[in-house]
Amino acid sequence: MLAASKSRVVASLASSRPLLNHDPWRHLGFLRSVSSSPAPGTPNPGSLELKEVEKILGDVKADDVRVISVRDQCDWTDYMVVATGRSSWHVRNIAQALIHRVKQKQKGAERLVLPSVEGHEGGKWIVIDSGNVIVHALEEKARAYYNLESLWTTEMTPKGPDLGPNLDLEKSLVKMRPRNKSKKPMKSI
Amino acid sequence: MIQPQTLLNVADNSGARELMCIRIIGAGNHRYAHIGDVIVAVIKEAVPNMPLERSEIIRAVIVRTCKELKRDNGMIIRYDDNAAVVIDQEGNPKGTRVFGAIARELRQLNFTKIVSLAPEVL
Repeated sequence: MLAASKSRVVASLASSRPLLNHDPWRHLGFLRSVSSSPAPGTPNPGSLELKEVEKILGDVKADDVRVISVRDQCDWTDYMVVATGRSSWHVRNIAQALIHRVKQKQKGAERLVLPSVEGHEGGKWIVIDSGNVIVHALEEKARAYYNLESLWTTEMTPKGPDLGPNLDLEKSLVKMRPRNKSKKPMKSI
Repeated sequence: MIQPQTLLNVADNSGARELMCIRIIGAGNHRYAHIGDVIVAVIKEAVPNMPLERSEIIRAVIVRTCKELKRDNGMIIRYDDNAAVVIDQEGNPKGTRVFGAIARELRQLNFTKIVSLAPEVL
């Protein structure tokens, strides 16, 4: 009787094991929806990549192209690309070339995903925001005025979790015995 | 909740110090402006020896409001002040640096220029 009940328990455990592995969420489609959402590291097929941007900027003869990696300074993008155009026409052409490339990449797709373009009418400062890479095309005067490179290279302090602030935290957690310096002369006497 | 006659701080180094909203652009019948809306404003107070002067009429983007901003994930953001950034007709900021924390929503509303000048994005 006891052995029979034990075996039943074992059998029920064994039968329940596959149920645990079965993962009811997958059946409901929860896991799929999580995996299909684009992770921050994986590139979106429609968005621009850094190499392409550099090549296109070279093709349209943008001057003084500078790539700044801002991954440790801000969390909303990875790379800033700053380029100068000779005139507002040239700046607009730089923007158009980048968008043309995105459209070519997504040829035949059902739905085009285009990067947002800002400032196309003025032509002094155009921003092409394609997620991980943000391209700033500026006129010479505007570039000198806004001085984006110095903002992102020197003025911004890196915000990485394993940098400066953490060291201070470690120091503050170590117990330091306060030394009373006022009583030193007393010892010497 | 910005409406005509509201006083706002200026969150950039354009030279204005205090603005008064006189009109909300693109709102039609809406009464209040929120983060990311463009307003027409008068400069009530300005820093001396700067290009912008008192009683000048300019456009500005609201970047911080005391009224809370709700996100879809349940996060609520509210600031201690109402603040705006001065822009021109083309949407370029007048100042070269933006001060204080700024909400991520501005990027979706096509103000990436302001976001890229800001020191902190929430």
